[in-house]
Amino acid sequence: MRSLLLLLGRVRAFVVRDFQLAVSYRLEFFMRILSILFVTTTLFFISRIFKDSFSTPFEQWRDPFLAWITALPFLNYFMVGFSSLANAIRSEQAQGTLESVLMTPINIPTLIVSSSAWDFVQATFHSFLYLFFGWALFGVEYRGNFLLACLFLLLTTLVLASIGILSASFAMVFKRGDPLGLIIGTGSALFSGVFFPVQLMSEMAGSGFRIVSRLIPTTYGIDGIRRVLIQGQTFAEARQPLLTLLAYLAVLLPFSLWVFSRAVRRAKREGSLIQY
Amino acid sequence: MPVAISIQNVSKTYPVPLAGVRQRFRIRSRAPVEALKEVSFDVREGEIFGLIGRNGAGKTTLTKIVATLVQPTEGVVKVAGFDSVRDEERVRAQVGLASAEERSFYWRLTVEQNLTFFSRLYGLGARDAARRIEELVELFELTELRRRRFGELSTGNKQRMSVARALLNSPPVLLLDEPTRSLDPLAAARMRELIGSLSRGARRVTVLLTSHNLAEVEELCERVAVISRGRIRATDTPQNLRAEHRQHERIRVVLRDFTVERARQLLSGAFDGLEITGEAEQTVVIFTREVGDERLDRALRALHDGGARVVSCETERGSLLDVLETFEREENGA
Repeated sequence: MRSLLLLLGRVRAFVVRDFQLAVSYRLEFFMRILSILFVTTTLFFISRIFKDSFSTPFEQWRDPFLAWITALPFLNYFMVGFSSLANAIRSEQAQGTLESVLMTPINIPTLIVSSSAWDFVQATFHSFLYLFFGWALFGVEYRGNFLLACLFLLLTTLVLASIGILSASFAMVFKRGDPLGLIIGTGSALFSGVFFPVQLMSEMAGSGFRIVSRLIPTTYGIDGIRRVLIQGQTFAEARQPLLTLLAYLAVLLPFSLWVFSRAVRRAKREGSLIQY
Repeated sequence: MPVAISIQNVSKTYPVPLAGVRQRFRIRSRAPVEALKEVSFDVREGEIFGLIGRNGAGKTTLTKIVATLVQPTEGVVKVAGFDSVRDEERVRAQVGLASAEERSFYWRLTVEQNLTFFSRLYGLGARDAARRIEELVELFELTELRRRRFGELSTGNKQRMSVARALLNSPPVLLLDEPTRSLDPLAAARMRELIGSLSRGARRVTVLLTSHNLAEVEELCERVAVISRGRIRATDTPQNLRAEHRQHERIRVVLRDFTVERARQLLSGAFDGLEITGEAEQTVVIFTREVGDERLDRALRALHDGGARVVSCETERGSLLDVLETFEREENGA
């Protein structure tokens, strides 16, 4: 119980610190809200081009605006899961504060959870804004079980956070040039069906692309969330992407924690913790 | 007296990153850096222990090993009985580190916000953290600056912040890396007073101090280790080190109403390193002698009998700088 309270106290300290740092850049906060509004509005008007003349065999894509508005905020969330820790490590290294944080009696899992906490708070707010603008300004109606959608969100985020821990390990040792950032970061938008159905890509460009798409966990997360929020599927109907995400998590989470602790040890051996 | 920090046969070689890959593809790379070689010494509880040496001698590496930030290649470091590699979390709970690295704080956060953040990482509850921060900002004369952003502080105040942070969790062991480097003379004296008081208080704090300011080390430290090129060359009290490594001292006598020529007549040939110069209305006589020999007495008597008025007489005793220079000379000669 005491260690749980200690963990929560430390997570809170990181969230408060990052909030204080964020409000020290007030303009950025408002610009981000404005940019979400602009993106949502742009997507709405692009979708109007196809209005009344759009027919598609892909059930989730009958209203493209709905497909985009359900995928974008979650992609944003997943990317935070993936990139927040590596960014936090890079940022602490660049600022020179990583050593002073690691001088405190904080363990590696606590550092991982705490460093990313604020980014998740922010991503939750931003994701909510996408959905809120879609509903309030453009009349989007969401269906299905929100709890199930949240389960998909949580699972996918954890899977991507595990890959993020691997990415952070890379940042810890090699500082820059993280290949996972390229593959998962830019690849997710292309291969996971955020802007178009993944089936289209394999039909036109070959089955190789479908394999890549199937290897990226974001594909299952976005598919699952659309199944729930657009098609209104139940737990039993949407279990296939759910089980796939669970399998990813079971393998990646322990592996990434092990790699990260090795990376910290290596940086300590090389004396390169503070280098960026 | 119980041992607070035990350093046994510690060696540290910084490896070349990806050495195996470089070797495989025959990429030329620099040699691994041997920062420490078989370093051993103990720091006793409540002691202020100094570590002196030139830049690159290995002082910071050793401090970071004790702080668990760098792992030794060989050897064992124990703090309050906990191993710095196997029990690193426990070691960190025992140790506070204040380095001269300004970048170790969040520049856009205030003094208070920075200290609050780190106090929570040390596991202090909100009330305890607030009380401790109150004590420390007062102790380090930062009260008026507590709502000022860290980036807006002067270098000296940043330095004080660093020591204040190191004391947040009231650690029994304090590692101080150049604690007065950027302080003005008054602030430096105040800081030295504070460091001294830590080891004299009811809860005696053990201090491992690295510094280039040798006078400071002499003033504060009960024992000193001299480190040169990664090796500990001597460990002793400052007095013993000085006595062992400096057999001579310089004497400077200032005379009034006495000519340079007359002084030369009286003293030439009888003293080593004799220099006689005229400065304004004064004549300055400098010579060296073995510590405690009769030459000072002889010189003063000769000058007095010759009619000189002695205005002042100063002795430049051996310092830790001489000790350091002796080891450097030995290293270079070897």
